[in-house]
Amino acid sequence: MADTKNIPEPFATAYNEGRSFLLEHEALKVFESVGIIFPPNMLTKNADEAVTFAKKIGYPVVIKAMSPKILHKSDYKAVIIGIDSDEALKNQFNDMDSRLKKYDLVGILVEKQVKKGTEILIGMNIDPTFGPVVAFGIGGILVEAIGDVSFRACPTTKQRALRLISEIKTQKMLNGFRGLPPVDRDALAEMIVKVSQLAIDLDKYIKEIDLNPVIANEDGVFGVDARIILKELE
Amino acid sequence: MTENPLHKFFQAKSMAIFGASASKGKPGFVIAENFINNFDGKTILVNHKGGEILGQPVHKTLEEVEGPVDAATIIVPAKYVPAAMEECAKKGVKSVTIISGGFKEIGEEGIQLQQRIDTIAIENDIRIIGPNCIGLFYPKRGLDMVFLPEEKLKRPTEGGVSILSQSGAFGSAFLDIMGSLGNGNYLSKFVSFGNASDINEADILEYFGEDPETKIILIYLEGFKDGRRFIEIARKVSLKKPIIAIKANRTEAGAQAVASHTASLAANDDVTDALFKEAGIIRAYTWDDLFDCMVAFNNTLLPKGNQVLVITDGGGAGVMASDAIGSLGLELADLSPEIEKKMKEDLPPYFSVANPIDLTGSATAKEYLYALEQTINDPAVDAIAYIIIPTPPAINVKELMDGLKPYAKSVNKTITFCAIGGKEAFYIREELEQMNFPFFPTPARSVYGIDKLTEYADYLRAHGQELPVIRETPK
Repeated sequence: MADTKNIPEPFATAYNEGRSFLLEHEALKVFESVGIIFPPNMLTKNADEAVTFAKKIGYPVVIKAMSPKILHKSDYKAVIIGIDSDEALKNQFNDMDSRLKKYDLVGILVEKQVKKGTEILIGMNIDPTFGPVVAFGIGGILVEAIGDVSFRACPTTKQRALRLISEIKTQKMLNGFRGLPPVDRDALAEMIVKVSQLAIDLDKYIKEIDLNPVIANEDGVFGVDARIILKELE
Repeated sequence: MTENPLHKFFQAKSMAIFGASASKGKPGFVIAENFINNFDGKTILVNHKGGEILGQPVHKTLEEVEGPVDAATIIVPAKYVPAAMEECAKKGVKSVTIISGGFKEIGEEGIQLQQRIDTIAIENDIRIIGPNCIGLFYPKRGLDMVFLPEEKLKRPTEGGVSILSQSGAFGSAFLDIMGSLGNGNYLSKFVSFGNASDINEADILEYFGEDPETKIILIYLEGFKDGRRFIEIARKVSLKKPIIAIKANRTEAGAQAVASHTASLAANDDVTDALFKEAGIIRAYTWDDLFDCMVAFNNTLLPKGNQVLVITDGGGAGVMASDAIGSLGLELADLSPEIEKKMKEDLPPYFSVANPIDLTGSATAKEYLYALEQTINDPAVDAIAYIIIPTPPAINVKELMDGLKPYAKSVNKTITFCAIGGKEAFYIREELEQMNFPFFPTPARSVYGIDKLTEYADYLRAHGQELPVIRETPK
């Protein structure tokens, strides 16, 4: 096994555990450290802790199972949304815990549920020809079916990111579709720049990034689901 | 700033040709002949057999040549290339183009041979173009390594277009077309770089970017040696001059196992599309696209906006041009009211003075010229697509072409031409190409040309740049 003593957290832990990805609560720390905004969230170990935190941030909340064995959470029903009371939270927490504890759960993430908005994808991939590229497009569960994304080389600038946003085909979705407010292009551009810079600053460790969805709503722009795939250590 | 290595290749005062041959029909003969007849520097023929070619002495080794030698062209069989490289190293030659094939492209044996020449090059500070290429062509200095004889490949003469091509065959066919187009006055510099063991697409793009004689850059690539640097350089160069590129082999990077949505969406060719767009590179997908872009950029002006006027005598041609305008995101211009009013008064009532301006089957050369004269200075029009169907009985095509000639020097607006038909359309094409006007064989392609010019003009405006005047005026 490679020497991990000079590797920063949370990457060192992930490598030490032989993982090829960060757990979401770990990824959130990486994103939050560069100013990418997520709804208030906390990793909790039991239902009481979860309820205490939910009371503080207010309902509704979302809970997500954090497991080194679960990368695609939807395959395991490892995300429950729309929880709106102490009672419901306790029940859902305990149900998730008993269903998924066989997957070495490290905890359950409680997160404030954001208001409805436009679902965006911001991501990063290492292109075999051009190196790291940042992606922007329409997000959500249909992202691969819709396939409306475009790219910039990393690192990028705010001006380039703004052009990237105006380059995707379904501009209608960004301009306030079906009663949703128009997305905050400025805030999205800043988020794109930050993701592109992460790809450079942490290029030893990060292989792929998904922020899908990012939700753009009346309150601002929030990462809601986050994934960081790791490179193999050299 | 360090000097780009291409500079020494193109400005070499003396050129040694290894593998110069006395047998007509051999590449080594064609290259020797090209240099003897046209090169404005000193030509040094080298072949271990000695003798003479076209009255010029052939040296058995480079060593016996007196005085310094700047550059070399190597066309000996692959296994003798390392020996030729050693001779170059001893003589202090720093710029070597290796035309010979039989290297990396043939497998293990060739890979080892290529490594040997790379080692000699690195140890002796020699820069290499090739191997496995057709080298350089620079009409201004008669520097011509293209081993395809003049009677088979018509050389273009001096102009503003520079070409970098990974493929020799593609490049040479394109040269032949340029040479046969109008006066043939199209080419600044041509580089075919083959295996790119040393100098690659990014170096050449940088050189063309710096080169004051290059006004338009055309690129044919199948893969990148240094894609990141290429994009970085393109970003700067595209602010000064248009870069039009084919990146063929579009399914190059196969599907890989990936874990994220982003990676699964990032098929290589989509990334190429996006990064080309970001860097201001105009991407051509087909041979026709590349040709149309070259003709448009070289032979007309960049438009100030996206308002297009169609002038034609064919209803169907006008409709098809209008469709192309709509589908490409351009707009049909509304003529300025006073111009429209005057034209309606002057022209017979059965002509349609709108957009398209339809001169119908009753059109004459005079009316065609009148329509252009009235609209060429209309500020509401950014570009004109001038589409001629020469078959109506009253159109005298000679009169029409004579009437267009003055515009060849004075034109101050984007204009593209199209003529559809047989013999008279061919004549129109010939005449317009002599005038260095951009000619296209279909209405849709004449609008495509305008669209690409508009795309580039928009890119420059968005980046706070002035629109350069590129158009070559006829001699």
